[in-house]
Amino acid sequence: MNLYDLIVKRIKEGQIGSDGPVTNVSTSAMLTAEITLISSILVVLIMLRLVNNVIMIVAFLVVLFAALVSMPLMPKLKREQNDSLSNMTFYVILALAIVITLFYWGSLNV
Amino acid sequence: MNLLIPLMVIVPIICALFLNLLHKKDRTVKVIAIALALTLPLLPILANYGLHYFGGYAPLAQNSAISAGLPSLITGTALNTFHPAITYAFQDAQKLFIFILGLVALLAILVSLYETKRPSGVYGYMMFMGVAAMMAIILTDDIFNFYVFFEIAALATVGVVLVSQIKGNYETALKYMILGSIASPLLLLGIALLLGVTGNVNITDIMASLKSGVVDPQNPVLLMACGLIVFGWLYGSGLPPFHTIKSAIYSKALPHGAALLQAFSVFTFVALGIIIIRIFSYLPFSQMVILGVSLLAMILGITMALLQTDIKRMIGFLAVGELGYIGIGLGLGTVSGITAGLFQAVNEVVITAFLFIGFGAIYYQTGESDIRKLGGMMVKTPLVALLVLLAGFAMAGVPPLNAFQSKLMLIQSSIQAGVPELGVIMILLSIVTFMTFMKAFHAVFLRPKPADLEIKNEKIPKATILALLVFLVVCIVFGLFPQLATGFLQNLSVSLAGGMP
Repeated sequence: MNLYDLIVKRIKEGQIGSDGPVTNVSTSAMLTAEITLISSILVVLIMLRLVNNVIMIVAFLVVLFAALVSMPLMPKLKREQNDSLSNMTFYVILALAIVITLFYWGSLNV
Repeated sequence: MNLLIPLMVIVPIICALFLNLLHKKDRTVKVIAIALALTLPLLPILANYGLHYFGGYAPLAQNSAISAGLPSLITGTALNTFHPAITYAFQDAQKLFIFILGLVALLAILVSLYETKRPSGVYGYMMFMGVAAMMAIILTDDIFNFYVFFEIAALATVGVVLVSQIKGNYETALKYMILGSIASPLLLLGIALLLGVTGNVNITDIMASLKSGVVDPQNPVLLMACGLIVFGWLYGSGLPPFHTIKSAIYSKALPHGAALLQAFSVFTFVALGIIIIRIFSYLPFSQMVILGVSLLAMILGITMALLQTDIKRMIGFLAVGELGYIGIGLGLGTVSGITAGLFQAVNEVVITAFLFIGFGAIYYQTGESDIRKLGGMMVKTPLVALLVLLAGFAMAGVPPLNAFQSKLMLIQSSIQAGVPELGVIMILLSIVTFMTFMKAFHAVFLRPKPADLEIKNEKIPKATILALLVFLVVCIVFGLFPQLATGFLQNLSVSLAGGMP
């Protein structure tokens, strides 16, 4: 099954119970978002060259492989970024933990 | 003329209180709101640069009348330079920010008065109170005073959403308040820790304490304070993970309200971002976190915008994505990068308001913001279609409009800073932004009108067209003469890039 068919399938899965058919516009938007997401992350990873070239190559290949295996990512990402208060609270707490760890533990130990 | 500095905050507060009292007296509400809204962009033009001290006096070093009689125990120490009052600083960058905020507020209020059947005093109260809070946030050099107005702006935001009468607005406002009840106290805790370590809430004094070695910059409590303030910054500006609720808030406000709310988010982002850079730029993680969060906001905001079917939600996500451009400028930490980031902030406020009010005209005519149910509006409103198209060009960074200049400066700065990858991502996401906009533009204006689409209001108010034309003029002027804006931002950028110990 190619990426286009996979995306159409996932949109249909996500739209169960909601109104409106799967249109060319929604599918091409999802496909564009998918390509944008993966290519942006890969370009961001190239910046790891400022830390270490080997880490950059390894991270790039690992993420590329992971992205190819788990495509399409956008339907999952969209599902996670919904308006549910539980979801939003979870990510807020997670972000708080990351920020505090980075500044408190990171500044003292790295 | 320094008396005009506090008036920038006091005038909108007084106007807000009057409008609330005069609710239901339609004509009076309209006259007072327009008259006082006109002063918002005028006050920063008329005011001279300087400082204003609330509830205290100038530092002893500048105040010989008081310091003359004091012992050297006081005048010979750091106390001599400390600011005992709540200090408001009005310099060139603040002048530009407050002028742009005042202009957007004026036009949003004007449009709201003409697009609503009966001008609401309560709605006016919320808008003016939010504007007053943002003026104070831009002016203040006191981090606790910042927090007070930060909370007022958050409450005004909720108020603007609550009075919109859009389906689901109460639920979204409640969620925003619940998430705010997690983030805001933590920001306050961060400020309290900062006060505990440095003994000060004046930002200039805190910087002096760190610079002079009075306070250990690696004090763990200070690091914790930095983490908490950064977390508050994410909430106030709608950066991830708060981007979902922020875009929901925009979509549940009326378009003119959303135009103002996005300006609040951008200026909160800039003001708190500047505070973080001024106090904590000596921490290597601060720059990395600003860059990381900005990249995340750009990628998540713009990819999520592509998937939306509600125009206001789509612009909301795009606005979050555009915040990332500003953050990259600030995170680069160079003079040109910070100037470009601040210039992008000014441009984004104007362009996003332009888009919200432009698409808002369609919402006014049809009562619909779902692009699947819209179409054929080019025939009904060709002028609005043209203006909205130009707004979309501006957001995507098409020359000769303003965001072209700021985005070009950002890309050049990232290359100069040795991270061309950031430039590549910015170009890529600008293209996707343009595509997202064209998707909405095609759906609303170009494709055939759906048979069941009802036109509720045939005529778009002249105030709306006027507002769109003013935004277009600003976009063109800043696009052709970017130095008109960057000239005001240069001094602040130089001082921020100077950094800390």
